[in-house]
Amino acid sequence: MVAGDYLLAGLVAMLTGLDRVALVQAMISRPLVAAPLTGWLLGNPMIGLEIGMLLELLWLGRLPVGAAIPPDDTQVAVGATVLALSVGPLLGLHGMPMVILAVLVAIPLGKFGQVFDRLARHVNDRLAVSGENALLAGSTRGMERNHLFGLASFALASLATALVIVLVGSFILYEAAPFLIGAVREAGLSLQYSLVLVGAASLLGTINVNRSISLFCAAFTGTLLVLWLG
Amino acid sequence: MSIVLARIDSRLVHGQVLEAWVPYVNADCIVVANDVVAGTSFQRMVMQAAVPSSVKLIIGTLEETASILSSAELLKKRVLLLFASSDDALKARQLGVSFPKLNLGNMHSSAGKDRYTCTIALDQEDIEKLQLVEDQGVTIVSQCVPADREQNWHKLVRSGGR
Amino acid sequence: MKERGLSWLTLTRMYLRSFLLQASWNFEKLQNLGFFYLILPGLHSLYGDELPEEVCRRHGGYFNTHPCFAPLVAATVLRLEARSLAGEDLAVDVETYKSMVMAPFAAMGDALFWGGIRPLAALIGLLVASQGSLWAPVVFLVLFNLPHLVLRGGGLLLGHMQGLNAIETVQKCRLPDLAIRLKESTTILIGILCAYLSYKGCEHQSLSVVWGFVLLPVVLLFAWMAHKGVTSLFLVLLTTSSLLLLALLF
Repeated sequence: MVAGDYLLAGLVAMLTGLDRVALVQAMISRPLVAAPLTGWLLGNPMIGLEIGMLLELLWLGRLPVGAAIPPDDTQVAVGATVLALSVGPLLGLHGMPMVILAVLVAIPLGKFGQVFDRLARHVNDRLAVSGENALLAGSTRGMERNHLFGLASFALASLATALVIVLVGSFILYEAAPFLIGAVREAGLSLQYSLVLVGAASLLGTINVNRSISLFCAAFTGTLLVLWLG
Repeated sequence: MSIVLARIDSRLVHGQVLEAWVPYVNADCIVVANDVVAGTSFQRMVMQAAVPSSVKLIIGTLEETASILSSAELLKKRVLLLFASSDDALKARQLGVSFPKLNLGNMHSSAGKDRYTCTIALDQEDIEKLQLVEDQGVTIVSQCVPADREQNWHKLVRSGGR
Repeated sequence: MKERGLSWLTLTRMYLRSFLLQASWNFEKLQNLGFFYLILPGLHSLYGDELPEEVCRRHGGYFNTHPCFAPLVAATVLRLEARSLAGEDLAVDVETYKSMVMAPFAAMGDALFWGGIRPLAALIGLLVASQGSLWAPVVFLVLFNLPHLVLRGGGLLLGHMQGLNAIETVQKCRLPDLAIRLKESTTILIGILCAYLSYKGCEHQSLSVVWGFVLLPVVLLFAWMAHKGVTSLFLVLLTTSSLLLLALLF
């Protein structure tokens, strides 16, 4: 990756980050979209798609509402894609093992996203007050300005999260990848599947439907039988 | 009839109640006991629109709901009972509605109230009324959603407001 | 005095502004500025360039509802403003209306979009992605955004045309029931996805497919743990570290 690529990745981080809450919510912030998008702009959409698949379900059940702030899966997706495409070639690693390493390093770092997000919303507390004051003083322009400034705090929070994931993630990968890569290759496909299955189980466990378990079991058994006998 | 949850929530029917509490306590009937809401046909309609048809919604004045709750109508239902304020909870108790435990969910702040948690603000009058409810043998706890920890309200009040 | 309507240009501007509703989301007042920003074009066309102070006071405070339903609320609010400006007596005044509807609409939107449509669209996208197709993100975006964009625009027009009666139309749609159907479909797709992965796993290890059934209780156990509040992060660390350990030992 060259300097221009990092700049591009930063822009994607801010744009997808804004989509989480502040702007449109068209769901380009979901890992299944954000990671392939990042990969595509950096020249490798497939690696992004693989990363997106592994991450999509993990926090899908967490509602983006009220005061509850879920881990920043958007920046985990963007960051993991950047890590796989930047650190991978330097360490001579590519393909699925590198994808898994990048994702495993990025996931815990997503916690930083919660911290920065909270910070951004507290900055907005001040905007809300000064915007309301501007309104009462008769300045709708001042209110609009305060409102739109909120976008800057959300964008910066996203950029900061992506930066932490890429910088700290690179450092960890340089140190740990040589030790782990053997085991990752050995465990292979099972690691990849386990991430998707954990995500599926989390979603299943938190979805609010009375019959969720029986529906799930019926669908699982039916599908596997068809695949087995079919 | 069994009241599986009695709760004070100034937002009454909203996401926390429908998405979190209803499945958690497995309720199939929500009773909203509030004189103002019962008298506003528009608000009754809005609330009805938000509740899935698998859950029965009853909205009435305090007296109406007290008599419905003691009648045979809801014999087989698992009832989630909602009040808007400490005042309503106390009045319902005095009208003979019995619940072993009272959950404090959202009690919005307004002038003269002290905030005790993110979602609970009380004034002296609230505290006195809740004390009267407790004196009748009701355990009072604060818990916003099932994922939060349940806490006795005395702990809350002792810790002081801001 | 006759009630003033809103022009198409104003409605279009409000539609576009609805995408910025949460630009300044904050803990203190949530969507207060966002809601004012959303109705501002409409307020200007009712009251002219200088807004009366009580109008600013009325709409600058605490507000919070689901973003997809905000245009409906906004359009209804402007209808009420227009009617009271025309000197009509309102059955429900503007402030009461806002305070009454924000929580129920928030509940409907959360159930429909975050609980229903988004997981279902994502699961369908994942099934496409499991075939290695780069169409997956496109499929997901289209499935989510069709209802999303239609509801924002439809709500705006509905509130504009029907005012307070819009709620009756919404009630007839039985959206909470639809949300439950969508969630049920999602659980079925989760089952299909898990079964497909077990099948691929067995195939890869050249095991009999019967071994795939072993995964069923494992997924159920994890789902139960998630239901009890165990976080995804913990489950990921647990499974990957045990798999890596197994790989190192054998």
